Amino acid sequence: MAQVKLSAVRKAYGAVVAVHGVDLVIDDGELVVFLGPSGCGKSTTLRMIAGLETITSGTLHIGDRDVTTLEPKDRNIAMVFQNYALYPHKTIRENLAFGLRMHKMDRAEIDKRVSEASSVLGLDELLDRKPRQLSGGQMQRVALGRALVREPEVFLLDEPLSNLDAKLRVKMREEIARLQKQVGTSMVYVTHDQVEAMTLADRIVIMKDGHVQQVGAPLEVYDRPANLFVAGFIGSPEMNLVEGRVVQGRFEADEFSIDLPKGMAAEENSAISLGIRPEHIEIDETAGDIAFTADIIEQLGAQTLCAGSAQGVGLRVMTTRRDDVHRGSGFSLRFPANRLHFFNTETGNRISTEH
Amino acid sequence: MSSKATFASFLIIGLLITLVLIAAPVVYAISLSFYTMDSFVADPDWIGLANYTRVLSTSAFWNALGNGLVYSISTIALQVIIGIGIALVLNQTFRGRNLVRGLSILPYLLPTVVIVLTFKWMVDGSIGILTRAIAALGLPPIHWFESPQAAMASSVMVSVWLWTPFVTTAFLAGLQTVPASLYEAAKVDGTNAIQRFYHITLPMLKPVLTVVVLLRAVWTFNKFDVIWLLTGGGPVGSTEHLAILSYTTAFTKFDIGGGATIATLSFLFLAISVFIYFRIFPLDEEES
Ligand SMILES: Nc1ncnc2c1ncn2[C@@H]1O[C@H](COP(=O)(O)OP(=O)(O)OP(=O)(O)O)[C@@H](O)[C@H]1O
Ligand SMILES: [Mg+2]
Repeated sequence: MAQVKLSAVRKAYGAVVAVHGVDLVIDDGELVVFLGPSGCGKSTTLRMIAGLETITSGTLHIGDRDVTTLEPKDRNIAMVFQNYALYPHKTIRENLAFGLRMHKMDRAEIDKRVSEASSVLGLDELLDRKPRQLSGGQMQRVALGRALVREPEVFLLDEPLSNLDAKLRVKMREEIARLQKQVGTSMVYVTHDQVEAMTLADRIVIMKDGHVQQVGAPLEVYDRPANLFVAGFIGSPEMNLVEGRVVQGRFEADEFSIDLPKGMAAEENSAISLGIRPEHIEIDETAGDIAFTADIIEQLGAQTLCAGSAQGVGLRVMTTRRDDVHRGSGFSLRFPANRLHFFNTETGNRISTEH
Repeated sequence: MSSKATFASFLIIGLLITLVLIAAPVVYAISLSFYTMDSFVADPDWIGLANYTRVLSTSAFWNALGNGLVYSISTIALQVIIGIGIALVLNQTFRGRNLVRGLSILPYLLPTVVIVLTFKWMVDGSIGILTRAIAALGLPPIHWFESPQAAMASSVMVSVWLWTPFVTTAFLAGLQTVPASLYEAAKVDGTNAIQRFYHITLPMLKPVLTVVVLLRAVWTFNKFDVIWLLTGGGPVGSTEHLAILSYTTAFTKFDIGGGATIATLSFLFLAISVFIYFRIFPLDEEES
């Protein structure tokens, strides 16, 4: 168990830079999720921590040790791969024991750890089978078990659930969270699924094009996205983002106009974007100040999602279930001031609305 | 014409061709072994198993069987070891890899006779490049075709030279089916390169290995041209194997029944060996 520290860790493949300097400290016992769209460098960063990719520049510490140039086997890490990477010709028991055997552990200790892990993960019945005789979910458990028995300083998981069906994914997600808290070992978990990230993470690292966009607890990134990218990426349905301008202390886009919070630092006539989550827009028939006409109604069961336009601006509005809305229904909307986000349209950065 | 009839007619044509071109000669050759004939035009006399008792009691037959085994086993072992080695190198990423891969198959495309003549030229007593290299190293000269051991060694060397490209290509194809993540998992599990070869590469190559060894064994055991062109079976029968013995018996001694008997015995030996091989190394993995 240990802290993992990345200092300006960078990866270049020739002229292509996959990961620009990443600075990050993963605390002992913490579960950190790398989240981002395809090709953003999540896997590359994880693989640099594992030692499967060389670090072009920067340093990596696990505990007190500088492991920047060490081989994977000397880093005391365990990894779970997207396609499981179980040894196909070895039995499940041998798969679990292999890493321990290679580390020259004595037989009794190996047997003890294997049987512990197999009972925790419910693999007892499967120990003498070969991987191809298992279902995807069972293989996933074996892959987790193989990491677990190693009792490493850090667990590294690269999209471990992406080959499972939706139901099993939720179940395994909970299991991973439970196991991680139980053993208390630091974990780095890569995913492009924001729900997985929100539910699992102690902290989320959001990446795009090889750059870290924001690091924070799940609710922190939800409540205070650092830039337009994070605002659009986190949350489902997506945050409404409206491009407009500052006109006499108000935000204006087309016919749409709303008061800016007091003390917000925004120059007159500068290009800014307004963000508000569909679930934060309130429908208020009497005291609302913006008229909205619904075009598309999506009934989700517990909620109703309406897409439509408000004074020339396309918006999505989510409310608790309403059976009385139809195509063409009109409402009056209210935008609670404390739910508004503003971003500089050019740089994409969040504009502070406090003080 | 209905599709059934079309299908049947294709099937019948195929069967007829197989029958005429393969089954008939084999049956004819086997039947010859029960007769005695002085020439291909003479009338055959039925003598039952007499050819078999006669052939099996000659030392030439057992010598040829032994030579065939030595030749096949050493050729295959070397081909597999060198083939895997080269395949491992060619499986790495390096500049010009595709060119090197293409070039490595070349020896396989050359006619046997070209390779044999090139080898003879390389070991020529006065100008041969190998002869000179050996002399330059201060080693005693090797009499390639006069010493029994050297003659066998040169037969093996030429065969390895000829067919290693085939083996390499097969292993290279096998290596490309091994997922990279297996090696990565093994790296994380603490293995070194040799352990990864032993625990991942080799087991993953096993299906290819099984087939390659089988094919090479059958081809090599029956291979005629290399040895015939290189040593003619000599000196004094030291490189003579069953294919050559069968040929010389039938066509230079005109003991046609004897030659057919040797060919039939060789065929039986091979069939039994293949059967045993499949019992030990089943092609479908499920039972292991
Ligand atoms: N061997 C390589 N050579 C060149 N570029 C590479 C190499 N490996 C990865 N890249 C590039 O590095 C970038 C990051 O790749 P990476 O695999 O880390 O993405 P990712 O965030 O894991 O995406 P995904 O969600 O699709 O797995 C990509 O643009 C990719 O094209
Ligand atoms: Mg990836």
